[in-house]
Amino acid sequence: MFAHGYGCDQNMWRFITPAFEKDFDIILFDHIGSGKSDISAYDFSKYNSLKGYAEDVITICEDLNLKNVIFVGHSVSSMIGVLSAVKRADLFSRLIMICPSPRYIKDENYEGFSKQDIDGMLEMLENNYLGWSSSITPVIAGNDQAASDELKNSFCRMNPKIAKHFAKVTFLGDHREDLAKVSTPTLIIQCDPDGIAPVQVGKYVHSQMQNSQFSHFNVPGHSPHLTAPGQTTKAISSYLNL
Amino acid sequence: MEASLHIENAEDLYQNAPCGYLSIHPDGSIIEVNKTLLSWLNFKREELVDNKYFQEILGKGGEIYFETHLKPMLQIEGEISEINLELKGKGRIQIPVLINAKKVHQNTGDQPIYRFSVLDMSQRKLYENELIKERKNAEEAMTKLSQINVELERFTHRTSHDLQAPLKTISGIISLIEAKNLIQPNSKIEELFSLITKNATRMRMMIDDLLEYSKVDGESITFESVSLQDVCNEAIELLHESVQKYNVSFCVAELPEVKGVKIQLLNLFLNLFSNAIKYSSDNVDPIISVSGKKSGNVFKIMVKDNGMGFDQKYSDKIFDFMERLHTQDKIAGTGIGLSTCKLIVENHGGKIWAESTLGKGSTFYFTLPKVPD
Repeated sequence: MFAHGYGCDQNMWRFITPAFEKDFDIILFDHIGSGKSDISAYDFSKYNSLKGYAEDVITICEDLNLKNVIFVGHSVSSMIGVLSAVKRADLFSRLIMICPSPRYIKDENYEGFSKQDIDGMLEMLENNYLGWSSSITPVIAGNDQAASDELKNSFCRMNPKIAKHFAKVTFLGDHREDLAKVSTPTLIIQCDPDGIAPVQVGKYVHSQMQNSQFSHFNVPGHSPHLTAPGQTTKAISSYLNL
Repeated sequence: MEASLHIENAEDLYQNAPCGYLSIHPDGSIIEVNKTLLSWLNFKREELVDNKYFQEILGKGGEIYFETHLKPMLQIEGEISEINLELKGKGRIQIPVLINAKKVHQNTGDQPIYRFSVLDMSQRKLYENELIKERKNAEEAMTKLSQINVELERFTHRTSHDLQAPLKTISGIISLIEAKNLIQPNSKIEELFSLITKNATRMRMMIDDLLEYSKVDGESITFESVSLQDVCNEAIELLHESVQKYNVSFCVAELPEVKGVKIQLLNLFLNLFSNAIKYSSDNVDPIISVSGKKSGNVFKIMVKDNGMGFDQKYSDKIFDFMERLHTQDKIAGTGIGLSTCKLIVENHGGKIWAESTLGKGSTFYFTLPKVPD
């Protein structure tokens, strides 16, 4: 099961999934509020924490009757995977975390962004949704077909209110304490340098997760499955002993 | 015609184009940048080329947006258009720009490069900011409006069902008894009748308070400069009778001018003062002090009394509609006064809250927006 990160949708896995189609059933989905999901299902209170997203992951597993799930999560979805595995360890056989970060804001002994950086990013989002009809309000809009169609035609685009909300939940959250609760074997893929989830953060995640392996990529950026799909595929394959 | 073709050459078209050009590797390292963009940012070519990452001239917020959204889009879709970013130049230079970008492959198998065209949109940005501001205002007004509508619906419901019906019944009974001359002086009936009349009066009080509450209309009001000092003094004057009766003393500090609706602000002070008098301590003359101070973008006004106070855990409940801490027998009231206060303050874009300790007086705080200079 592949879970995309903030700001994108399941399309970001297109360079990776072909390599695994032979050996596995591939489950791809868009988080509610992202990609082609039904935005009327976006409930601001449910998704006020990553737990809401983790519930969805568990629901997908249950409804599709999945067992021994290998959960591949990019960026924020790594933490959604952590929360899912903490709640339902029985469902998951492996976690693969690509560029994970349990907390994006810095504090005394922890490297990260300042609150101002996140505000800057939210402003950037706002500046780039000027043309977006502000009348598309999820939940209230309900089954507005025209609104849904507009979303279907756009790639990696989000309703601005959802984009801002998801950004806040993603970048202002703190899930450091959840890491140690995971017993599922985990692979951590770390880019170097990564401006969003720095190497120290990846190492921290590794140190907190009892059953984890750390794979260091000399690939800059935050999305190796896009910029270095070959290396990413290889790392996952060898971790899974394929 | 042929000669004019040679006046322009490709290098000059690139370097001195009326827009900025920039090429980067997927990791963000800058491959090439044209003179136009260099001069906007006040960088020398060697300071950027092979020396800086594109992310570094974006700032942290822009970097997050670039890494999480723009780069995946470029990598998958091959292009992005009309993206508004802010480029940071040397010193304090910050230019809002509009960016189009394209992924190109020089040779198959090589890493792609991203080409950017950059338009300075400083002027347009000012206009956009205005738009964003106005849209925010409109959205806030909408939210407020829907909240008021909810309150209003509840109000209508309760008035029509809970209050009008019993009042009509009681009034009907009173009229009936009076019409039939059924009251014998000094009889049991007279005692009951007085009870009925008392209830009718209480109901009337409720309806009066409700009407007062319903008058606090957020929609059709115009804000003007109001001297809180004047409004406060006026409220004290209007309470002249009870001030004398209960020997109330006021201590009013200097109060500011605010933007607001005078009649509502007067109502606010009247309600707070009446409460302070109504819930005063036994055997102690009420002292009410009023003061205000600047706090960021707002004025914070404080109304403090030496009354009976209340348990701090009820500090939210007291502002709820028709909620009361005392029974009707002990202290008459409707539970509408403080809701009215809350509505008024919120209409003015402020907040109201209270701090108290049982037996040690209460302090009510509210904020009102400052008059822009």
